[in-house]
Amino acid sequence: MATALELAPRLTDASRRKVWDVHSAFDWPERLTPGETWFMSPELISIYGTEAFDGLDESARMTLSFYEVVNFFSFVLYGERPLISGLMNRMYRKNTEGPITEYLHHFVDEENKHMVMFGMFCNRYAGKIYPEKKIVLPREYAKGEEDISFFCKVLIVEELGDFYNLKMMSDKRIEPLVAKINKVHHVDEARHLGFGRELLREMAADFVPAWTKEERERFQGWLVQYLLSSWGDFYNPAVYKDAGLTDGYKVRKMALEHPTCRAFRAEASAKLVDYFLDVGLLDARPEF
Amino acid sequence: MDEKKIREELRIWILERSGATPDRLARDDQPILDEGLLTSLDVVEFILFIESLRDEEVDIEAIEPEVFNSIDTLVEAFFADSPTACEARS
Repeated sequence: MATALELAPRLTDASRRKVWDVHSAFDWPERLTPGETWFMSPELISIYGTEAFDGLDESARMTLSFYEVVNFFSFVLYGERPLISGLMNRMYRKNTEGPITEYLHHFVDEENKHMVMFGMFCNRYAGKIYPEKKIVLPREYAKGEEDISFFCKVLIVEELGDFYNLKMMSDKRIEPLVAKINKVHHVDEARHLGFGRELLREMAADFVPAWTKEERERFQGWLVQYLLSSWGDFYNPAVYKDAGLTDGYKVRKMALEHPTCRAFRAEASAKLVDYFLDVGLLDARPEF
Repeated sequence: MDEKKIREELRIWILERSGATPDRLARDDQPILDEGLLTSLDVVEFILFIESLRDEEVDIEAIEPEVFNSIDTLVEAFFADSPTACEARS
């Protein structure tokens, strides 16, 4: 298996070969009309498989799919903001080798374009970006834990996002612009994920064995909670309200607890969880 | 919903979420964050709960982490001007 240092120049070459311009990559329709077509694969809609979904007619489901995809693009956009900031903070460090910094420039460039792309879609067609509700409180870290936590966050936002991208990019039922945005995102993310997985594997091997039992347990508790909390982003009360469902908060609670939705989250997280188990960042599979 | 009920709802949510015993939040000025009753990840969920009580979204960019210090600071920050609290006072 290639190390992150060995991967970096190959990924840099690939990024240069596949460079694209966010301002000319898409034909933006004048307007999109919720309720007339699918904007997200129905099986990916957060309440799919619940009584609340079954009770909607097709037009209402399509309307919900519009707000769900706006929400998806919104929280991926917000997830990319600290990602870019964190990547920039890790460039040109003494222990960040030159080829890695060089690739990080492309990583940042591509993430920035994703933010532009998602922001344009949300603002143009929904007139807004759903705001995030995150507040970062100070916490203590074991040696290496801050970097490991950062790259875990990167991997979670990108792996979960990619699960959705892969499903939607080839779904002929959904609005072509949405499918294309998912495709463009997936192509860049495939490189980011390959790099992030390897870098995190190396960091885990370097630092985790030296952590105390308490530090390992605290980290694993945080990682499970972060993963569950990331899934919470998919169940946005404001989305349900915009789509005309009554009491969005209750809909969210219902969906988070619904066995069909829990099984879906476990399935969509399987690859990520397998990876965390494999590199020793988790000891057990979390309950979704 | 009146202010007393709001305070009780906030207390129940925090205790259930943290699994803490009621004595750790018996008073409305007892510290929440300093006592480790809520983490950053809990706060995301807590804000959505607060929104459901207020029936109005919270502008996250307009608040500081200090508003989560105690039930008193929460009520002051999130419910002083909310329609529900105003109704209760009128």
